[in-house]
Amino acid sequence: MGTLISSVAEAEELERMRRRIFLGLFAALAVALHTLEALLPSPAPWFRLGFANILTLTALFLYGGRAAWSLTLTRIGVGSLVLGSLFSPGFFLSLAGGTLATALMVGAKALFGQRIGPVGVSALGACGHAAGQLLVAWLLLVRHPGLLNLFPLFFLFALGTGIANGIAASLLLDLLRSHRAFGGSTERSTGNPPLPEKNERTPT
Amino acid sequence: MALADLLRRTTLLDRVLVLALFSAALLSLLLLRPGERGELVIVEQGGRIVYRAPLEQERTLRLSGPRGETVLNIAGGHACIVSASCPHKVCMGMGEIARHGELLACVPNNLLVRIEGGKKRDGDFDLLSR
Repeated sequence: MGTLISSVAEAEELERMRRRIFLGLFAALAVALHTLEALLPSPAPWFRLGFANILTLTALFLYGGRAAWSLTLTRIGVGSLVLGSLFSPGFFLSLAGGTLATALMVGAKALFGQRIGPVGVSALGACGHAAGQLLVAWLLLVRHPGLLNLFPLFFLFALGTGIANGIAASLLLDLLRSHRAFGGSTERSTGNPPLPEKNERTPT
Repeated sequence: MALADLLRRTTLLDRVLVLALFSAALLSLLLLRPGERGELVIVEQGGRIVYRAPLEQERTLRLSGPRGETVLNIAGGHACIVSASCPHKVCMGMGEIARHGELLACVPNNLLVRIEGGKKRDGDFDLLSR
């Protein structure tokens, strides 16, 4: 019982467990944010701030694409169970938006690697979310060209929240990477390198 | 500064991507701008047209749907939903419409109110022949 880490195999096992626990915590937090947002007043049911995406972004940058997918699907599934909206139109809107957003985000990260940061990925994901939702709204609810008039407004709003969430995710990533629990991580291949030190910051 | 910190957090590709998406949004805003003032109010319920009249004709419509009654008010050249029985009242929050192509929708009550006529982009049509 004296030593917890005695071999390489155990270190790897510990890393896996740590990863699993953090993903579980991220998923729990994402569900909480998803539910909280549904309680906020909004001008239309589609106008969401998308705070839960901060956790998806964090998982994507820390643990890679598969983690991001599992986080999004868990969040939408469990979130709709909590809200009681499973298989309602809202659920399908959410699912379509989440799927397209995650596909774009994971794709962009895989394509551009270190050249893309959380803000760019988030903006792309938010716009994908808007497009996916509108597409399903068109297919399931209102087949009317007037719906397209909503698109620019929708898109612009999504871009704004996407950038805000990207900045939030960037801050969260900095905070997590400077923490000891993530310092010894062996899974660095999928994340961007740590941001430059303070002395490299542009003087203002 | 906050702005310098923000720039430090973004890569070149991030900035290019945000700018591209922003210009795409602005472009679509210009392309899909709602048309000129409309002339005709059309109310559809479950895909069938239940009411059609000029926007100038002042009326209050009581429309019953699967979730109860929705009251549509047409006055002063505007159409708006003044009371609804649906849970979220999104349709009431959509405000007044008067331009061609604008619409009010109440999804729980399967209701769609749209404006047509006026200066259209895709040719005009004879109101009487329809």
